[in-house]
Amino acid sequence: MIDGIDVLIMVIKVLVVFGFLLVSVLLTIWAERRIVALMQQRIGPNRVGPFGVLQGLADGIKLFFKEDVTPTNVDRSVYFLAPVAALLPAFLAFAVVPVGRGFHIGHRVITLHLVDLNVGILFFLAMGSLMVYGIVLAGWSSGSTYPLLGAVRSTAQMISYEIGMGLSVVSVVLWSGTLSTSGIVDAQSGTWFGFVPRWFIIPQLPALVMFLLGGLAETNRAPFDLPEAETELVGGYHTEYTGIKFAMFFLAEYLHVITTSALVVTLFLGGWRGPNILPFLGPLLFVGYFLAKLGLVIFLFMWARATIPRIRYDRLMHLGWKVLIPASLVWTMITAAMVVLPQEVNRTTLIVVVGIVFEVALIVWLARLTTTALRRGRLRRGDSHVV
Amino acid sequence: MILAATGPEIAFWGFAVVAGIAGFFVVGSRNVVHAALYLVGVLGSVGAIYIVLGAEFVGWVQILIYVGAIVVLLLFGIMLTKAPIGGVALDNNQRPVAFIVAATTFGGLTWIIWRTFGGTRIRLSPTRTAQIGNSLFTHFVLPFEAVSVLLLAALVGAIVLARRD
Amino acid sequence: MPTTLDLHAVLPEIILSGTLLAVLVVDLFLRDERKLWNSVIAMAGVLGSFWATLTLIGDHRATFNGMFVVDSFALLFKLMFLAVAALVILISANYLDEGVRSTQGEFYFLLLSSFLGMLLMASSRDFLMLFVALELVSAPGFLVAGFKKRDARSNEAAVKFFLFGVLSTAVMLFGMSLIYGVTKSTNLVAVGQALAHPAARSEPLIVASILFIVAGFGFKVSAVPFHFWAPDTYEGSPVPVAAFLSVASKAAGFAGLLQLMFVAFPHQSNVWAPGFAIMAVATMTLGNIVALAQTNIVRLLAYSSIAQAGYMLLPFAVVGGAGPAVMRQAFAASLTYILIYSFMNLGAFAVVIVVNRKRSSNLIADYDGLMSREPGLTTAMLFFLLSLAGIPPLAGFWAKFFVFSAAINGNAAWLAAVMVLNSVIGLYYYLSIGARMVLRPAEDQSRIGVPFALAAAIILLVIIVVAVGVFPDFFNHFSPRSTLVAL
Repeated sequence: MIDGIDVLIMVIKVLVVFGFLLVSVLLTIWAERRIVALMQQRIGPNRVGPFGVLQGLADGIKLFFKEDVTPTNVDRSVYFLAPVAALLPAFLAFAVVPVGRGFHIGHRVITLHLVDLNVGILFFLAMGSLMVYGIVLAGWSSGSTYPLLGAVRSTAQMISYEIGMGLSVVSVVLWSGTLSTSGIVDAQSGTWFGFVPRWFIIPQLPALVMFLLGGLAETNRAPFDLPEAETELVGGYHTEYTGIKFAMFFLAEYLHVITTSALVVTLFLGGWRGPNILPFLGPLLFVGYFLAKLGLVIFLFMWARATIPRIRYDRLMHLGWKVLIPASLVWTMITAAMVVLPQEVNRTTLIVVVGIVFEVALIVWLARLTTTALRRGRLRRGDSHVV
Repeated sequence: MILAATGPEIAFWGFAVVAGIAGFFVVGSRNVVHAALYLVGVLGSVGAIYIVLGAEFVGWVQILIYVGAIVVLLLFGIMLTKAPIGGVALDNNQRPVAFIVAATTFGGLTWIIWRTFGGTRIRLSPTRTAQIGNSLFTHFVLPFEAVSVLLLAALVGAIVLARRD
Repeated sequence: MPTTLDLHAVLPEIILSGTLLAVLVVDLFLRDERKLWNSVIAMAGVLGSFWATLTLIGDHRATFNGMFVVDSFALLFKLMFLAVAALVILISANYLDEGVRSTQGEFYFLLLSSFLGMLLMASSRDFLMLFVALELVSAPGFLVAGFKKRDARSNEAAVKFFLFGVLSTAVMLFGMSLIYGVTKSTNLVAVGQALAHPAARSEPLIVASILFIVAGFGFKVSAVPFHFWAPDTYEGSPVPVAAFLSVASKAAGFAGLLQLMFVAFPHQSNVWAPGFAIMAVATMTLGNIVALAQTNIVRLLAYSSIAQAGYMLLPFAVVGGAGPAVMRQAFAASLTYILIYSFMNLGAFAVVIVVNRKRSSNLIADYDGLMSREPGLTTAMLFFLLSLAGIPPLAGFWAKFFVFSAAINGNAAWLAAVMVLNSVIGLYYYLSIGARMVLRPAEDQSRIGVPFALAAAIILLVIIVVAVGVFPDFFNHFSPRSTLVAL
C-alpha cells in the first residue's frame, strides 16, 4: 500500500533528480566549452566563477532577460508548444535510470531511481522517439525555410538512427534477459576471475559501438550535426527562437546528451556498480561511481565533437540505413545464438565450432590482405619511380 | 454506472475523455498539423489506457511506434508537401450532416455495447512481457510470420512507388 | 517445448514464401533485359506449390493451434488460387516486360505475396488469421494498382483502392473485436458454437458486428454499396492487375465470407440472409445496368464483375433459417460459381491485354472487326463472353444453373427470377461486344500478334471453359464435398 511517506519520498526524489539534471546541464555546457577549447589549444571560458564554472548559469540568466521576439508568421500554439515538447521527454527519460544502490531507512527500502518499470528500456526508447517532436514542430511552426529544412533533415536523421540504436539495445536485452533497467544493472553484478567486472561492455562491445554511433546521431551531436551547422542552415530548427525558448532548446539538447550517456552507463558500464572499497560512505559511493562513469561517457561525446569533422548528409543517411541497421541486425542474431546455443549444445562443441568459424574468418581475412598487397606490389613494380 | 470509483477507473475515464475530445478535434481542426498533434493526444491516451488496464508492454509500444514513429512520419509527409500555416479547411463543407451521422452512429453503438457489456466487471492484472513473447512465438506464430511478409511487401512496394527513376 | 508444427500442411505456403523471397533476391542480380526470368522463377514456385497442394489431397489436418486447417474446402481454393496465379503470371509477363521493365521483379514479388495471403485465407479458421490473411491479400494489391507511376489514373486507382480498403478493414476489425468480446474466442468454430445459444441469436451487438464484418468483406468482393472503388481502380491500374483483382482478390474475399457466414454465424442466418438478399439484388442490378452505358472495355468488365459478384452472393440470401441440406446446396452453388467465374473472367481479361498491346485506350470501339484481324482471338473472346452471359453449353451456364437451383430449393424463387432477368440484361452487353467484333468493319486492319505466353493462357482457359460446360459433373463432384456446413 502506498502511504503518505512514500509519496513524500517520491516527491523528494523527483525534486532531487530535477535539480541534478538542471545543474548537470549547466556543468556540461561549461565542460564542453572548456574541454573542446583545451583540445583546440585555446583556453575557453574562465572568467565567471572559478575556472569559469558559472558560465552556464551566466548564459542562462542572459537568455532569461533577453527580449522575446515572436515573428508574425508563426503558428502560435505550436510555436509555444515546441520547446516544451523538446524538453519534456528528455527529463522524463531519466526516470528509469538507477543512480545508485538502494538503501534502508528503518523498514523502508529506498531505491535510487524514480520508477522501476518492468519495461524500463521500452519506456526509454519511447521517450527517445518522442524527442523528435520538439524539433519537427519547431521547424514547421517557425514559418520560414531554414528552420523547416533544418527540422526535416534533423528529423530524418533521428528516425533513421532510432532503428539502429533500438536494435543494439535489443541485443543487450537479449543478453541480460530483462527489459527492466534495474534488472540490467543487476545482471552486470559480479566479476570474472575476481577482478574483471561483468559489465556488458565486454560481451556486447559491438552493441556499445553501434549505440554510441546512434546516440551521437540521435542527439544531433558532431560529427552528425549537419542540421545545426551554422555555415549550412543558420541555426536549423531553432533559428527563429529567442530568449527563454531558445534556452529551452539548448537545455534540451544537452539534456538529451546526458540521458543518452546515462543509458550507456546503465546498459554497458554496469550502472552504479563498483567495488565496495569505502563502506563508510554507504550508498553515496555508488552514486559516485555512477557519476564518474557518466562523466566519462559525456567526455567521449565532447571528444568526438572536438576531433571528428562533420559528415555530409547523404553519407550520414547511408551510414544509418545501410551500415548500422544491417550490422545491428547481425549482432542481434549473433547475441541470440550466444544466448540460446549453450542451452542446446554442449560446451565443448560450442567452443570448437566458434573456434573453427573464427579460424576460417581469420584465414579469409589474411588471404584478402595478402592478395591486395600483392596487387599493389605489382603496380609499384611497374612504375618507373621507385620511392 | 460508476459505483465505487477506484483509482484505475478514474484514470481510465480521465484518459478516455481526453481521447474522445482529442479525437473530435482531429477531424474538426482546420489545420492539418494541428490535427496530427491532436492525433498524438488520442494515441497517447489510448496508450495510457492500455497501461491502466495492465498491458504495459503494449502501452509503451503503442507510444513508441504510433506516437513516436507513425505520427512523426505523417508530420514529415505533411511538411515535405508544405503544409500551410493558418486554417485550411480540407473537407467538402458537409460538416453538419457529417456531425449528425457521426453522433447517431456513436449513440447507437454506445447503446448497443452498453446493453451487452454494461454489467461486466473485469479484474485487472498486469501482463508480463514474457507471456506476450511466449504466446507470440507459440500460439500466434502463423499470423506473426504472415504479418512479417506483409511488412516486407509494404516496404518493397513503397520503395518501388517512391523511388525516383 | 511449444506445440509441434505440421510442416506438410503448410508446405504450399512455405514453397510460395521461398519463391517470393527468391524472386526478390535474384532480381537484384539481373540486368534489365534479363528481368523476364523473374516470371520463370515465379512460375516454377507456383507450380511447385501446386504440386505440394496436390500431395495434401484427401487429408484433414489442423495445425498452429487450430488456426490453420487443411480440408477439402481449403484445398479446392488453394488449387484454384495457384492455377489463377500461374495464369496471371502468363498473361502479365509480356505486358510487364514491355511496360515497367525495371520493376518487374518487385511486381512478381508483390503478386506472390498476395497469393500467399490467399492461400492462408483459404486455410484460416480464426478471426485473427482471417484478418491478417485479408490484409496480406489486399496490401500488395494497393501497391500494384499504382504500378504505372507516371500515369495519373494509376495513382488515382491505387489511392481509391487503398482508402476504401483500409476503411472497410478497420470497420471489419471493429466488428471482429466485438464478437471476440462476446464469445471470448477468435476461433470460428468456437464462435459458431457460442453464438448458437438462443439468447445470442438476435442480440443487437451480434447483428451490428456481423454488419461490420460483412462490410469489410463486401468491399473485397465489390458488393453494392461497397463497390465504388472497383470501376476506377480496374480502369486505372495496369490491365493484368485489373485481371488479378477481379478474379483472385474477389475469390479470396468470397473464401473468407463463406467461412464466416457458414461456420461462425450459421445460427444468425435469419438476420443476415435478408441483408444478403438486398445486397445481392442491388449488386446484380446496378452492375448490369451501369455496364450497359460503358464505352471502355475494362470499365465494362469491372461492372460486369460487380454483377457476377451479385450472382455469387445470391446463395447466401436463400439460407435464412434453412436446414443443413439447403445450406449445403447453397454453399456448393456459391463455391462452384466462384471457381467457374474466375476462369472465364480471366480469359476475357487476357484477350483485353492482347488488344491493349496495340491500342492502350481500352475502348470498346477498338474491338470492332476484330474477327477479320485475329480470328482465333475473337473466337476465344466469344467463348468467354458467352460463358459470362450464361449460354449453354459453356461453363457459365452451369454456374448460373447451380445458383438457380439452390434458390428454387431454398424457397426463394423471386431471387431466381431476378437473377434470370439480370442475366438477360447481361446477355445484351456481352453479345453486343461479340457482335461488334464479328460484324463491324475494323478501322485498322493490321494483325495484333499474340505472344506465346498469352496464347497459351488463352487456349488453356478456352479448354477449361468448354470442358466444364460439357462435363459439369466435374464441379458437381468436388464442391459438395468441400462444404463447411456442419451437420
